Amino acid sequence: MLRKTFLPAIFLLLAYGFTVSADFKTITAGVAIFLFGMLSLEEGFKTFSAGTLERILKASTNNVAKSMTFGVIATSIMQSSSLVSVITISFLSAGLLELASGIGIIFGANLGTTTGAWLVAGFGLKVNLSAYAMPMLVFGIILVFQSAKSLKGAGYVLAGLGFLFLGIHYMKEGFDSFGQTIDLAQYTMSGYAGVVIFAGIGAAATVVMQSSHAMLILILAALATQQISYENALALAIGSNVGTTVTAIIGSLGASTDGKRLAVAHLVFNVVTGVLAIAGIYQLMVAVEWISARLGIAADNYTLQLAVFHSLFNLIGIVVMLPLLRPLVRFVEKLIAAEEVEIERPIYLSGASIEIRDAAVEAVKKESIRLYDLAAEVITDGLSIQRDALESEDKLKHVLKKSTDVIDEDIDDLYERKLKALFAAIVEYVIQSRGGYAKGRMKEELNSFRQAGQHVIEAVKGVKHLRKNLTRSLQSDDLVVRKEYDRLRKLILKVLRDIEGVRTAGVGSRSVLPLDRLKLEIEEKTRQFSEGLDTLIRKEGIDVYTATSLMNDISYCKETCWDLVEAGSVLFSESDPDDRDAIRSIALDEHEIDAMIADDGERVAR
Amino acid sequence: MKIQKLLDKLKDILSADRQAQLEKYKSLKKVLKSLRAEKKGLEKDLSATNDTERQQEISARLKVISMQRKKGLKLLKELKEERRRAK
Repeated sequence: MLRKTFLPAIFLLLAYGFTVSADFKTITAGVAIFLFGMLSLEEGFKTFSAGTLERILKASTNNVAKSMTFGVIATSIMQSSSLVSVITISFLSAGLLELASGIGIIFGANLGTTTGAWLVAGFGLKVNLSAYAMPMLVFGIILVFQSAKSLKGAGYVLAGLGFLFLGIHYMKEGFDSFGQTIDLAQYTMSGYAGVVIFAGIGAAATVVMQSSHAMLILILAALATQQISYENALALAIGSNVGTTVTAIIGSLGASTDGKRLAVAHLVFNVVTGVLAIAGIYQLMVAVEWISARLGIAADNYTLQLAVFHSLFNLIGIVVMLPLLRPLVRFVEKLIAAEEVEIERPIYLSGASIEIRDAAVEAVKKESIRLYDLAAEVITDGLSIQRDALESEDKLKHVLKKSTDVIDEDIDDLYERKLKALFAAIVEYVIQSRGGYAKGRMKEELNSFRQAGQHVIEAVKGVKHLRKNLTRSLQSDDLVVRKEYDRLRKLILKVLRDIEGVRTAGVGSRSVLPLDRLKLEIEEKTRQFSEGLDTLIRKEGIDVYTATSLMNDISYCKETCWDLVEAGSVLFSESDPDDRDAIRSIALDEHEIDAMIADDGERVAR
Repeated sequence: MKIQKLLDKLKDILSADRQAQLEKYKSLKKVLKSLRAEKKGLEKDLSATNDTERQQEISARLKVISMQRKKGLKLLKELKEERRRAK
């Protein structure tokens, strides 16, 4: 109920906000563009996963010291800890990094961001990355249109960065009116109360301005004009350090679980550092004074002293939090639980049965049959046929007549969750038992079940390929093409039903190789389909592109049917175990079926 | 001659390879026999039915069985040959 009403409620709320405030519209558009940038960035980094970037990242972040150094250097170059943290989140979401390494980078980024204070204080330099947003977008999108994978990936990364900056720009624009109303002088206050309040103001102002650098400039300006006291300026810097995490939090909204965990760890780190700095602000001031004297910084040069302070409290944060890195990882992992992905687990392959030889073979057989049953369901879904059609006695044409709506199931997801995991478990079990005690006939039996499983998987893959055009045909008004795809669906459904028939007939069925007859039918039918394509082009007027697609799909259909028959022959043909080899040795293969059809053709011609 | 046969049997019993070969030969023969029985049964069914669809189905099955038997007989011949060479 809550889920159903949540989205419409958010939409209504946003729509109301848009009508009331133009600034709100700009801010939310900024957030949307920013999040789109994150998606694009993630897409780009995915292209590079398992490639050079992953190798570089792994090599440069395989321990905490390295990942921290990486964070320091990256932030010093980019001059934005927010950007480094959102990029780290997208690395995590793309599976390029581990959470502990990500947190290490964040620790480093906090220190790296203090170089900004040194640059601003020392040289009055401000790197404005948002000016690069437009060219980045243009170059990025041009690269996205390239066919080379690496260029496309680079394009997504570049466009992603461009969108990030653009999003930040809009957020800033939107918040501008709020920013202008911030008059720091009116809050001047001394003592701890002043420190806490100014830290809060610093955090809020950084959220508003979306830049700790901009905040730093504001602090320095206020300090130079003596609008605020030195003590309040330090508190603002502490608050700014906490406020800057909001960008990472926004960035983690569409990220993976690990991305969200990183954003929380970032917040925890900065809040802890902030609390420590507030608590020991007067001691820190003494330390800053001492360090400044050693560095030759004049006692009245507050800007450089602020840079010293900024570096010092972040360094203290790192020193305090570094030993707590593992507990922090555990804490965020507990706080944000991984999304449960329902993966099909084996039922029969229990650890105990592997030790008992006959039980092991039986367990593999039962699990393989389970794999087949699950695959049959995925296949019927893929063909947009109701699952009960397999067991019903309705004629095939009636079933197809009823099955005109596309079954909206994510076949790739079903394949990954239900079949791949189960097949992997079967393969692992077979390998384990083969490595141990399985020999001779038992080894062959186990192998044949593994191969049957492979055929089942291939059959599903065939349907996955077929589904795209099949779904299109079901949604199209072109009855000729739809009829052709119905024929393919009909053949696969027939194969599934015939296998089901053999399965239920079981022991005592008169036929020695009951499914070999199906092989002949598959070959004859798919040949007819292929030969009929010429007529379809000439008489029914279907275009050559559709015909080519059909040609490929006939081939997928044929492979799927063969795979199902091969799997069914192993899993459901009940026979005396002593005769199994002999029976399999006379089973007909594709060439022999081809030869049979060719012989028939010649006989008819004569 | 009788002694030769007895010697062959002894070899079959003592050699694991020959034993396996013999098992293979026997089970193939058994399967071919079952196929022949299946074929006869189907031929009877074919002459008994007037349903065209059923006739077509039975004919297809008969065609496949003939091919399977042909393949089986060829294999049987090869096994026989192997056994003779191994003697």
